[in-house]
Amino acid sequence: MKGLILGLVCVAGAAAVPMLGNPYYTGVIFQLAMWIALAQSWSMLSATTGYLSLGHAVFYGIGAYVCVLLTGSVPFAVTLIAGALAAGIFAAAIGLPVLRVRGPYFVILTYGLSELVRHVVMRIESALGSFGRMIFIVPPIEVLMWCMLGLATLACLGAWAIRHSTFGAGLSAIREDEVAAETVGVPVTRLKLLAFVASAIIPGAVGGLALLRTSYFEPGQAFDPVISFTIVTMALVGGTETVRGPILGAVALTLLSELLWSNLPQLYMVVLGSTLIGFILFVPRGVSGLVDQIAGRR
Amino acid sequence: MDTLLSGQLLFAALVSGSLYALVALGLNLVYGTLRLLNIAHGDLVMIGAYTAFGAFSLFHLPPVISVFLAAAVCAGLGWAVYEGLFRRLLANPTLAKRVEANSLILFYGISVILQNVVAMTFTASSRGYQYLDTVITWGGVSMTGNRLLTLIVASAVCFGTLLFLRHTLFGWSLRAVIERREAAQVVGVNLNRVQLITICAGFAAAGVAGTLVSMTEQITPFMGFPFTIVAFVVIIVGGLGNIGAGVLAGFCLGLVETYGIALTSPGYRSILIYGLFVAVLLIRPEGVFSKAVRS
Amino acid sequence: MALLDVKNVTKQFGGLKALSDVSMTVEAGEIFGLMGANGAGKTTLFSVIAGHVPPTAGEVHFDGRRITGASPSRICRAGLCRTFQIVRPFGGLTVAENVRVAALYGAGGRQDRAAVARAVDDALEAVGLADRREILASGLTLSGQKRLEIARALATGARLVMLDEVMAGLNPTEIAAMLETLADLRNRRGLTFVIVEHVIGALMTLSDRILVLDHGERIAFGTPDEIGRDAKVAEVYFG
Ligand SMILES: Nc1ncnc2c1ncn2[C@@H]1O[C@H](COP(=O)(O)OP(=O)(O)OP(=O)(O)O)[C@@H](O)[C@H]1O
Ligand SMILES: [Mg+2]
Repeated sequence: MKGLILGLVCVAGAAAVPMLGNPYYTGVIFQLAMWIALAQSWSMLSATTGYLSLGHAVFYGIGAYVCVLLTGSVPFAVTLIAGALAAGIFAAAIGLPVLRVRGPYFVILTYGLSELVRHVVMRIESALGSFGRMIFIVPPIEVLMWCMLGLATLACLGAWAIRHSTFGAGLSAIREDEVAAETVGVPVTRLKLLAFVASAIIPGAVGGLALLRTSYFEPGQAFDPVISFTIVTMALVGGTETVRGPILGAVALTLLSELLWSNLPQLYMVVLGSTLIGFILFVPRGVSGLVDQIAGRR
Repeated sequence: MDTLLSGQLLFAALVSGSLYALVALGLNLVYGTLRLLNIAHGDLVMIGAYTAFGAFSLFHLPPVISVFLAAAVCAGLGWAVYEGLFRRLLANPTLAKRVEANSLILFYGISVILQNVVAMTFTASSRGYQYLDTVITWGGVSMTGNRLLTLIVASAVCFGTLLFLRHTLFGWSLRAVIERREAAQVVGVNLNRVQLITICAGFAAAGVAGTLVSMTEQITPFMGFPFTIVAFVVIIVGGLGNIGAGVLAGFCLGLVETYGIALTSPGYRSILIYGLFVAVLLIRPEGVFSKAVRS
Repeated sequence: MALLDVKNVTKQFGGLKALSDVSMTVEAGEIFGLMGANGAGKTTLFSVIAGHVPPTAGEVHFDGRRITGASPSRICRAGLCRTFQIVRPFGGLTVAENVRVAALYGAGGRQDRAAVARAVDDALEAVGLADRREILASGLTLSGQKRLEIARALATGARLVMLDEVMAGLNPTEIAAMLETLADLRNRRGLTFVIVEHVIGALMTLSDRILVLDHGERIAFGTPDEIGRDAKVAEVYFG
């Protein structure tokens, strides 16, 4: 309850940022909300079931692609919804065979799938003679930011609801032991598929919004595997045991990147790499666990 | 059709096949013994390439000599990574519980650090040097000396390693660790030592491959990832931890890729590689060449 | 009509015939014993019945419906649940959470919170784990984890529970308590049990009827008395 109130206060505060009149801050909030939405969506599948997806860029990319194809012919909200639906449908279509594959195989399979789709889209686009598509009329940054904030909120509420539901209990049983879960009546295949689809939908809409923000589509960028890696990194740095973990991870790394990226990109990456290693080895429960520890000691 | 049957194309396929086999060999050794997916493997190829480049441009050392240096540098990195990070990871039960996720992130961190440290040292622009690049023609096939050398060295290292694994005591204990980890420890294999030596050897193999690449291609700090992917495709096709089948799969991938592109167009290269990768994982995750051992 | 009807089940693992043409029927409310030396095929029979392993030939009917080929979760929700000889706890969840998953998803399909909580409490009470409910399942001793297997199966609300060597590793006092619990569950809640046990004394006391397997074949069937006198059984067990 306390977390919910705190969360709502943060959302309200963030929504008011455009009043500062500095578009840079609005942009930062957009980034923050985007990574929270992505990391939290990822956690709906990977933190709950332990099926570690390294291919969430594919959902983001599909959302962006659908959005760019539809822009101009339908209102912009519809393009986002279409992007989300397309990502969800894609997940539903590939889910059954993909979720039969487990452990490290699943990790690299999701990565490979995402890359496969990226190269197929690149091929299609170059066959159509298009080398990147521009979007000329985009909603103002405040509107995009508010939408993104909405998606982040939705993702957090969704992740919270899943963790506290029967569905979530079934998913954690799957994470612990799939055979035993099946034995006590958990419909393993169906739940895994549902979680997969649930974790794909919001990234689809996020991809669409991010596209409108840059107003430029290039498949190599829209499906960039770095997106997948960043999502996993944020969630793990934040901690996967709680709903606030991915939020904290996204905030920490987005801010770090804002501080360093523009001036010293290579140094930023080295710091990022070292942070990751340090966290894995010394703070295994993530920022979230660290917060607990400090709070507990007081 | 003529080009498809030419010795030229076969030679090209064998050169890239041998290189793939070598890169994958290193990755497979590390996976086999540590059960960890090293997504930084391609970056070790990059380190090997920059070592050779540095040695050539600073000290005029030819690659045939600097290849040893590159192997040593990568083996040293292997030592540092194992002693500094993975012993800690594997020894801590809470960390080891989610060893897949954790090791993935560790290797990602290592990869990012290696790429950007090299980029800060050598800048991000592409580099290259010339060595043995005169064309020789042999039985109707034209080739540059450095490509021939690549084929010879890569094949020699691969098959030498296979012989070593088959005929030495260390090779036996390594295979024991790969096949039956727990049992191997019981019969007195020093797991720690085997793991350390293997990770060094696996990294060194990548260093050798990097040296070979640097003779024929432009190198950049970010050249590594495609090699990681190719190596993954190869060891997935061969079966994770199955060293011999991995070498075979490396050559096969070289053939499939070269002929596949000849039949279609270079634009389909990535689709071909990833398509193969996904198909194998979906249909036979234990590998095409391995006997089915899934329960 | 029998609650469980196993018809001519054969299971082949490569060259090995783990079960050959095994038939048996279990009546509602009975305790049915399954005996046999190591490797006789008892666990395999459980796996076939519960849907973990498809039979090479033969059929299984539960409550008048054919369940061969159905997934274990469907079979469980139909009212049949098994435990694992090699325990499979949800190690990272607490004891109570382990049982709660079963109560949420099992045969009852309980949605109402109070009913779920009651099912969890009952199951934990029955196996004597009530005081350990908040610890992680991985922290239980082996005998604790065996009890947890039973508790989970009970909490699913299954009418037929198949127990695979749940008394291995318990001491005589604990075995006596467990026997009492099982008999009580049968009498009070009308549950049906199929029990595999190497503790032959326990099996003889508890079972109404016993089936003996040897190398995948049915070699004897009858009341405990009849089994005790059976020459073929004596030969398998006592050489
Ligand atoms: N998945 C499998 N693949 C191959 N063989 C199997 C498999 N499962 C069981 N077996 C074999 O089937 C035979 C019967 O095994 P099962 O586990 O059913 O015996 P059991 O009666 O339960 O023995 P125990 O008393 O030791 O538990 C054994 O020879 C076993 O090795
Ligand atoms: Mg058994």
